[in-house]
Amino acid sequence: MSSAAPQTPRLLSRGQLAVLGGLALVPLLDYLLPSVQLSAQMRTVVVFAILGLGLNIVVGWTGLLHLGIAAFMAIGAYAYGILTCEVYPFQVGFWPGILLAGAVGAIAGLLLGAPTLRLRGDYLAIVTLGFGEIVQDGIKNLELITKGTEGINPLPAPWVPGPVASAEPNAWQQLFEPITSETPVRWFFIYLAILAVVVYLARNLEFSRLGRQLFAVREDELAARCMAIEPDKAKLKAFAMGAALAAVAGALFASGLSSTGEPANYDFQVSILALCIVIVGGIGSITGVLVGAIVMVGLSNVVLPNLTQALQRSGIGSTGSVFASPDNYKYLIFGLALVLMMRYRPDGIVHSRKAVRK
Amino acid sequence: MSVPLISVERVTMRFGGLTAVKDVSVDVVPGSITAVIGPNGAGKTTLFNAITGVYEPTEGAVKVSGRDPRRQLSGAVIATSVAIGLATGLGLALLVRVETVWQAAVLDLYEFQKAFPWGTALKAFFATLFGGGFLGTWLPIVLGLALGTIGRLVIWSRTRRTPDVVASAGVARTFQNIRLFPELSLVENVVVGMDRRLTSGMLDGLLRLPHGVRERQASRAAALGILEFVGLADKAETAAGNLPYGHQRRLEIARALASKPDVILLDEPAAGMNPTETVDLMRLIKAIRDKGTTVVLIEHHMRVVMGISDRIAVLQYGEKIAEGTPEEIKNDPRCIEAYLGKEELG
Repeated sequence: MSSAAPQTPRLLSRGQLAVLGGLALVPLLDYLLPSVQLSAQMRTVVVFAILGLGLNIVVGWTGLLHLGIAAFMAIGAYAYGILTCEVYPFQVGFWPGILLAGAVGAIAGLLLGAPTLRLRGDYLAIVTLGFGEIVQDGIKNLELITKGTEGINPLPAPWVPGPVASAEPNAWQQLFEPITSETPVRWFFIYLAILAVVVYLARNLEFSRLGRQLFAVREDELAARCMAIEPDKAKLKAFAMGAALAAVAGALFASGLSSTGEPANYDFQVSILALCIVIVGGIGSITGVLVGAIVMVGLSNVVLPNLTQALQRSGIGSTGSVFASPDNYKYLIFGLALVLMMRYRPDGIVHSRKAVRK
Repeated sequence: MSVPLISVERVTMRFGGLTAVKDVSVDVVPGSITAVIGPNGAGKTTLFNAITGVYEPTEGAVKVSGRDPRRQLSGAVIATSVAIGLATGLGLALLVRVETVWQAAVLDLYEFQKAFPWGTALKAFFATLFGGGFLGTWLPIVLGLALGTIGRLVIWSRTRRTPDVVASAGVARTFQNIRLFPELSLVENVVVGMDRRLTSGMLDGLLRLPHGVRERQASRAAALGILEFVGLADKAETAAGNLPYGHQRRLEIARALASKPDVILLDEPAAGMNPTETVDLMRLIKAIRDKGTTVVLIEHHMRVVMGISDRIAVLQYGEKIAEGTPEEIKNDPRCIEAYLGKEELG
């Protein structure tokens, strides 16, 4: 009799706490390596972790192959851009902007999902793939609204109430200053806090009635149906939640760049990257997705560019040789990593422990 | 006699040219154990699938407690369909003219760092949206309205009698080729079975609202109770996929019982079980009936069938060839023929 099993799950699992805690230590490295500005670069990792968590709800928990998550990221980014940029009248500010972007993403998810989620497996993958291309082309061509390939800018950084900056802030004071590109630490912490909230929500979902319905639908749709679960509704909710999180990630991405950037920032590559984050990290596991984001995006956006710069500074890559810059080996490394993962650890770095959903 | 809990009324199931079930009628009396037997390929599982909504009968009807378990055409269905149609229509109209509308309602009115005239903008928005004439506004609206409404109604009509609707009417089942949720724990499997009686919504779960937390605890406790009833409580937290075969069958029964159904359909519950397990199973099925749940089962083990059934229906080549008490069936020449073949004279 294993009645010792906890009745209510902890707020966050140990693994999740460890990863979030580890990320919270990143700004310390800024003092060790002042030239790198790691906490500014790690914002992207946090953004992609949120994107991965959104995709994980759809792919990992509901078992739907989604190849167009970047489209929802784009929708979120442009919603945030239109709602906050000063060239348009809305200017709702950072926090409402993020929330509204999430809502717009959820609505977009419902609109795409309602007519298409009855499709099986591969067909749904094709629909999402096509949707990704349509959104990108749509944004490119609606120039009056989205500024086409220019991107909407400038966009506001996060805003939090706090004391006004002193002229020469020390590290501690810096945490309480208005956010600009000069205060990357504080900016990073705000993103990290948002990630922590998303992790908390995702974990609650995992242990909720809806989460259980999603797992049941993934494991055996007919059996779930015979238990009076309506798979279409469950899938639609999962799809909308995934889209909402992707949109929030897009909004944070745009805010981080202070611009939506060009539509090509949200192309098929990004959808695949998100999928790799989920698969490499450990499909179905929240901790796994966090680890996946750190490994994949950390490698491509932090480690490799810095390595390239370091090599160039030291003179090795200064000839501009394409072979001497590790950045160019990004996809080679990704591909190799995927092949090795599939061979040696097909469940991902962090196994989603079978049946330990207590 | 009271109203039959399930009444199969002249059901025929055809798949292309193949008639799997032909003009079969069976009544299931509340509180009884009814067995459906017959040689392989006789159409027993097809009949189960027709009852539970996996298939729609080609002809005939299946009633549960005298009613046809089917989504009714209510005002709400029509209202949602029209609402979806309207939203589609307006969305389509907006999509067609989005840049014109944007130009008129936002770009023309907004001056950098000046107050934005929201009222004027709203008026301009609607004026432009509905000012596109026939092609620009009304055609998209009508098209979208038709598409959305008809699409929703078509989906509704195709899902009127899906298994979830039948299950909601109080009919639970197990499967011949076990269909558990292999990566979920035993408790979770059973709680999924309970789903139709749970009430917590999306927000209860996402925000850990008290209702969701309480319901989670209560449902897990109830699930443990059911596992205890079928004798699997000691493995509550292991993955269903790791259970031995006989236990998986029991877990399927537990999952089906969890919804507190009026009637439970067991498709070959004793298949692959050894004699001891079979005896336990017979005891379990009787216990289920004694707790007030009506049982219908498909079974090949004659010992099980004859030992526990109140009534038996015999199918052969899709047709019902006999129905009666175990005694009657045992002595029915057609049943003996169906199972053992005809006696050759000479």
